[in-house]
Amino acid sequence: MKKIIIILLSLLFLFGQESMEDSPKPCEDSLLKLAKKKGIKAIPIKDILRFRKLMKACEKVGGEKVVDQIVYQDWQRDYRKAKTMASFTSTFSICVFLVMVYYFVGLGLATK
Amino acid sequence: MKSQIHGLILLISIFAGSFSSAQPKIGVDLGFGFYEPTLTGFDDNSDVPFPTGNILNRNLLINWGVYYEFFSNARVGYNSFASFEIGKLDLVNSKSVFRRTIRYRMFPLETFFRWKPRIELNFTLAPIWGRGRISVDTSPGDKSEDWNQLLNSFGDSDPMSEMGSADAMITDWIGYCGMIGLRYYLSTRIGIDMKMGFMNNSYNNESWRLQKEKVKGPVMKIDEIPVFSIKVVYGLK
Repeated sequence: MKKIIIILLSLLFLFGQESMEDSPKPCEDSLLKLAKKKGIKAIPIKDILRFRKLMKACEKVGGEKVVDQIVYQDWQRDYRKAKTMASFTSTFSICVFLVMVYYFVGLGLATK
Repeated sequence: MKSQIHGLILLISIFAGSFSSAQPKIGVDLGFGFYEPTLTGFDDNSDVPFPTGNILNRNLLINWGVYYEFFSNARVGYNSFASFEIGKLDLVNSKSVFRRTIRYRMFPLETFFRWKPRIELNFTLAPIWGRGRISVDTSPGDKSEDWNQLLNSFGDSDPMSEMGSADAMITDWIGYCGMIGLRYYLSTRIGIDMKMGFMNNSYNNESWRLQKEKVKGPVMKIDEIPVFSIKVVYGLK
């Protein structure tokens, strides 16, 4: 029984995958659209491998610009979102910094 | 009634909208920490020869954590720094396997900003729930004697008269930690995070527990110690 399940799972894994190269328009796949719209991190973990294959397939059919744009936009999205501190975060960071300074100055003075 | 339904719809849409439009970011990390505690109870113990201290069982901490980014510049999570030691003890009745774990369980609040697209600076404050655990595998007939020998070496005086099947002494303490870090993103999902800071633990060697009895444990100086960490961070979502 165990063997049958293992063979079935292996067959499912081997033949169940959709070949990206057979796909006529990999650059227009819904996963790439999702990555473009909401970022690479919005892609579910189970689809990451498929997403990578799609990126390669897209590059192969001349979609380098599409792939570069997805990656670039993802970097920019993260950067824009976190380049300035908002709300309580700046105050909190200053507090942490001051606590650290206080601790290390104290440590320095104590070890002298 | 109509206005209540409208209110309900409005509330649901606000909540659903905030959940769907916000980008939840869950990340996991794995790495190492380095610190320098003074474990006097083990290193300067003249009664029981504990395994020799080295960089692996004294200074190295195994670090893993899970974070949730609840705000554009802030994340909360769980982070564990653990120090392990294993070796043989030459007790009077038996040669026993000795295991010691010191675990610093942190619940950090971390704020951050991106200095450059690939570089992030972060600031962390975390309460600590620390736990120390010492276990000795002795032969069943000599358990009490072996444990008493160990506990006497920590300054206790034959506290155990009977031992059960469980044979580990445990202590808990609280503390806090402050850290400043720099994270370099190799890709939008993967980053290398380096942190430096300090830990302050309110450890008391007289609050160990063994078989529900209060016993004395090893003297350890783990308050006000600098700590460094390096880890690989992976953004799951």
